[in-house]
This record gives sequence, C-alpha cells and structure tokens, in this order.
Amino acid sequence: MAKKISGPRILTANLLGDGLVVFLGKDGSWAPSLESAWLAHSNDDLEQLEALGGEAARSNTIVDPYLVEVEDTGSTLLPVEMRERMRARGPSVNLEFNSKSNGHALVADQAVAG
Amino acid sequence: MYRYDEFDATFVSERVDQFRDQVARRVKGDLTEEQFRPLRLMNGLYLQLHAYMLRVAVPYGTLNSKQMHKLAYIADKFDRGYGHFTTRQNIQYNWPKLPDVPDILEHLAEVEMHAIQTSGNCIRNVTADQWSGVAADEVEDPRPYAELMRQWSSLHPEFSFLPRKFKIAVTGDKADRAAIAYHDIGLRLKKNAAGEVGFEIFVGGGMGRTPMIAARVRDWLPKSELLGYLEAVMRVYNLNGRRDNKYKARIKILVHELGAEEFTRQVEEEYARLDAPQGLPSDQELERIAAYFAPPAYEDLAENDAVHTQHLVDNKDFAEWVERNVAPHKITGYAIVNISLKPVGGVPGDATSGQMHAIADMAEKMSLDEIRVTHEQNLVLPNVRKHDLFAVWQELKEHKLADANLGLATDIISCPGLDYCGLATARSIPISQDISIRLGDIKRQRDIGDLKIKISGCINACGHHHAGHIGILGLEKRGVEYYQITLGGSGDETASIGQIIGPGFSSETVTDAVETIVDTYMDLRKSGETFLEAYRRVGAEPFKEAVYATH
Repeated sequence: MAKKISGPRILTANLLGDGLVVFLGKDGSWAPSLESAWLAHSNDDLEQLEALGGEAARSNTIVDPYLVEVEDTGSTLLPVEMRERMRARGPSVNLEFNSKSNGHALVADQAVAG
Repeated sequence: MYRYDEFDATFVSERVDQFRDQVARRVKGDLTEEQFRPLRLMNGLYLQLHAYMLRVAVPYGTLNSKQMHKLAYIADKFDRGYGHFTTRQNIQYNWPKLPDVPDILEHLAEVEMHAIQTSGNCIRNVTADQWSGVAADEVEDPRPYAELMRQWSSLHPEFSFLPRKFKIAVTGDKADRAAIAYHDIGLRLKKNAAGEVGFEIFVGGGMGRTPMIAARVRDWLPKSELLGYLEAVMRVYNLNGRRDNKYKARIKILVHELGAEEFTRQVEEEYARLDAPQGLPSDQELERIAAYFAPPAYEDLAENDAVHTQHLVDNKDFAEWVERNVAPHKITGYAIVNISLKPVGGVPGDATSGQMHAIADMAEKMSLDEIRVTHEQNLVLPNVRKHDLFAVWQELKEHKLADANLGLATDIISCPGLDYCGLATARSIPISQDISIRLGDIKRQRDIGDLKIKISGCINACGHHHAGHIGILGLEKRGVEYYQITLGGSGDETASIGQIIGPGFSSETVTDAVETIVDTYMDLRKSGETFLEAYRRVGAEPFKEAVYATH
C-alpha cells in the first residue's frame, strides 16, 4: 500500500512563455486554477506528479515545477504557506490591472496540455 | 544628458541580438532553464512570484521625455499599462512575456536604455541624488562621475563575478538625498581646505539582514583618482569577500570583520600598488563626459515671478503643494518640482502609462526635457520656471499626480513585497496603503511634519525599513504575516539604523501601532521638533510604552 504523506500536495510551476502560475490538473493539463489540481495523498502520487513535472519542464512547457502542501477543506484547496496562497490568488493590489480574470485569461489562452 | 557614443550603441545593440538568440534557443529547448537563468538575469529578467519581471536601469535616475514616453509605450504594448519605480531609481515591469523581452530591449536600445547589470553579483546601476546638477547648495554635479562609473563598471571583466551584488551611490551635496551611508560604496563630492573639489569615500554600508552604516575610508580624494581608488576597493573585496557564505558575502561584512582601519589600510596598500592609478580617467575623458551634463539653456530670469506669486496668494492648495513639493533651484527664477507617486491609498512608486506620457510631455514643455527618478520612489521635473509652476501643478492634478505630501507620513517607501516578489515573506504594499489612508488627511500630515515610513516585505530590506523613521518589516510565521516595527532609522547625512521596539504586530494591528507611535510623538514633541529629532531626544521607551500598553 502506498505510504501516506503528512499533508496533501499539488504540483505547481510557471509557464515558460508567460511566466504565469499554473497547477497540474487531474486531467494532466496545466491550468491557472488550483481548484482542479491533482491532489497527491501518498508518496506514489508524489512520485507521479514529480515525474510529470519533470517531463513538462523538459518539454519546455513549464519552468521550475515543485510540490506545494495544501489543506483540503472539502470545498476548496488552500496552500499552507502564505507565499503559495499568494501565488495561487494573484496580487492583492493593483486590481484594476491585475484582476484574476485578467491574469487567468492570459494563462488560459496559452495553457498547454501536459 | 549623456548620449551614447558609437561604442555604447553597438554594445547595447549587440546585447539585444545575443539575448534574442538566447530566448529563441530557450523556447526551442536548446537551452535548459538552468543554463538560461544566468543569461536572463544578466539582462534584468527575473522570474518572480506570478510572472516574469523586467528591471530596466535608469542610470543615476536621469531620463529625458523620449525615454519616459518609451517606458510608457512598453508598459502599454508589452505589459499591463503600468510600471513600478524602485528604490534603486530603476523601473520594473511585472508582467512581460519571455518571447517579447528581446523586442522590449530593442525598444529600450532605441532610446539609449537597457536592463544590463540590474541583477547578478556585479556593480549595479549607479544611483545619484535626484537633484544633481540643480540643487541650490550643491558643490558639483556628480552625474558625470556616475556616468564614468557606469562605463567603467559595465561588463568589467574583473568585477562581473563579485562575491555579491554591489551598489554605488553618489551625491554632490552636503544634504544626503541618495542614502550614501547605506551603500557598498557611497561617494560625496566636497571641497578640501584648499577649496578643491574631490570625493569623500564611504565603504561598507548596506541594508538586508545585517544593516550597517558605511565607514569613511577617505576624507578627500582628487576627482581624477576616482576610478583607480574604486578599483583598489573592489580588488580588496574581490580577493577577501566571503564567497563561502551568501549571507556574509557583501562588502559590509568584510569591512566589519576586518575593521574599518584595517580595511582602509589594505585599500590604500592596493591603491599604491596599482600600475597607473592616477591615469584613470584622463582629463580629456572626464571633460568629454562632463560636457554632456553641461547646464541646459536656462533663461535669464528674475528671482520672483509676479504671476507665480499671485497664484500662491489666490490658491491655498497650490501654495501648500509648492511648500512641500517644490525645492529651490541653483538658477535664479527656476524651481525643482517633485512629483509624488504616493497618492493616499495608492501603490508607492507605481505610475500608469498615461501618467508617464503626461510627465514626459510636461518635461519636454516645461522642464528643459529632463526627468529624474528618486530612490524614494518619486519623480522630479528638475528645471521648471517659477512662472510655469501653476501650469505644471494643474497638469499634475489632471493626472492625479499633485499630492502635496513629499516627505510627509504618506510619502511611504514600499517594496513590492509578497504581492509580486518571489523572495518576500509578507505583503508590504497593502500595509503602506492602510497607513496612508489612516494618516492621509493632509491637514493631519502637515501637522505631523517630516516623517519617513518605510516598509519591506522581507529581511532583504528593499523597502529600506532600516532607514525609516518608522520602519516596518513583514515576516511570516506558520502561514500568517506579521510585522516588526523599528524606530529611529535615517538614510540622510545623519544616517542611523532603526531599532526594533519589541514583538511584531498582525496585519490587522500594525497600522494602529504606527498611529499610536505618531500620536505619542505629537504628544511629546517640543516646538518645531521633527519625529526623528524627538525620537533621538527621548529614545524608544515612550513609544514602546504607548504601543504595547494599547496593543
């Protein structure tokens, strides 16, 4: 049986072209929202995520993939660290320029299947 | 202003071509991220929290209108319509796309700008007093020497892989508006007993996790010997700097560990050993560069302008703006206009493309085509006729740039913090906005008087919190932001490092704590005493008592 890890994790990275934040989804694609992120609960899951991240980095889709610990509230995923919450949420200032929809629209345009 | 010669133009243009090729190879996959990272950083391109960030150098903070228009154009065409002016007189774009960056650099090269050496362990953009060349009390314009250092340090093979990044600031005035004591090397032009102008040299200042005030290593150095002496300083650092420990690798640690006396001895010994220390630069080369900074075509004007004087009488808001934001000029009939990029509740240092275009237009029409960027994240129109001040103010008002708060409580320095920066541990901009709104009433601000509040979102101290009269450092503990407060810092000619007053505050209570500190000052100050003067008289205790009794 796969060994449990301390808390669930998701895989994140930045797109090579835009540099925008993306998360590896359950369907294997990279998307700006963590809501549909692939949740790893065991070491086997982690290994699989890391392998997919490495592959995507080697194929020049994304940059610097890494795992992020999240809290699964049932209805939402919340990164444990403040830094990762900010990455997932986007800037809390300059909203007229940086609204999530703006950023996400840009990402969605270029989201690439993993 | 300095104009690129053929060498400069070729070098910058070739660099754009090189980077275009490197980006193409990266996108194609011929370069890995590990191989590409140092190449992009050498061209000012970071990968930050949410996206790439391009840091463009504004050498010694001087721009012309064409350059400012170009910065606005880049913000519109390649970014999200705004830019962020930084504490190193640079501008940062927060959202460029990698494939666009070579085009951005090409646009910059068209107006003699670039992003080279805005990152990495090299000599960074040399910063200068924003009033250089126009300040009423200045000994001499330091910008020709800043330009000389720019040329000397650009791709200098010996100083391209230093133990850590290296920052130089220069001023030509006794009043220090360039925070020279907080730089790796700080230079001040001054006269010796014989009345000759030379450099007073300070080494080993810095912010970060180990803040230090620079030590004076030379009281006076002939101007012609500047590069030779700097070379000696750099060599001692390059040889003995702590390459084994990133956190101890800045020159301030070397100066501290050796002691200022021993460090100075080693520099002087090295200087004496240089082959031709006094041959760099030649007088002709100095004159060639200095000619670019010759004063512009000032008109012969009277000291007072009747129209301006009448506007001062008729319009209280204008008069208050002049009182706070306009400074004396060395040329009769002219004034220095300081443009606040700190609207109440706004993001410190940000300007929209529309504002940049407007400022460029004003500079062209009413400031002899010059603009300056300040390390306090504001802009300056350095050459405005007093006669034109009212027109400038009206234009600024139209573009929401006429806040009369220079040097007041809402003129806050703030780094991008965790809203943008990959290194940050907490947000700084929202805290600056909260404080700005809380203390924003202009009558209250004027009553409080000179007050420098500076906020950093991590220990690296890009928001200069160590030098804040009230400094705020954002940290994180178990997923929650909290803020440490320091008091008594200063980055001016009486430089001092702020002292931590006690346990930190939550993001919800830190503004209350700052307000309590300000109110405590208002209660205890003597007539005419500024916040810093009061703090230096009474120390931290009354502030601590007030803050920790109520929070």
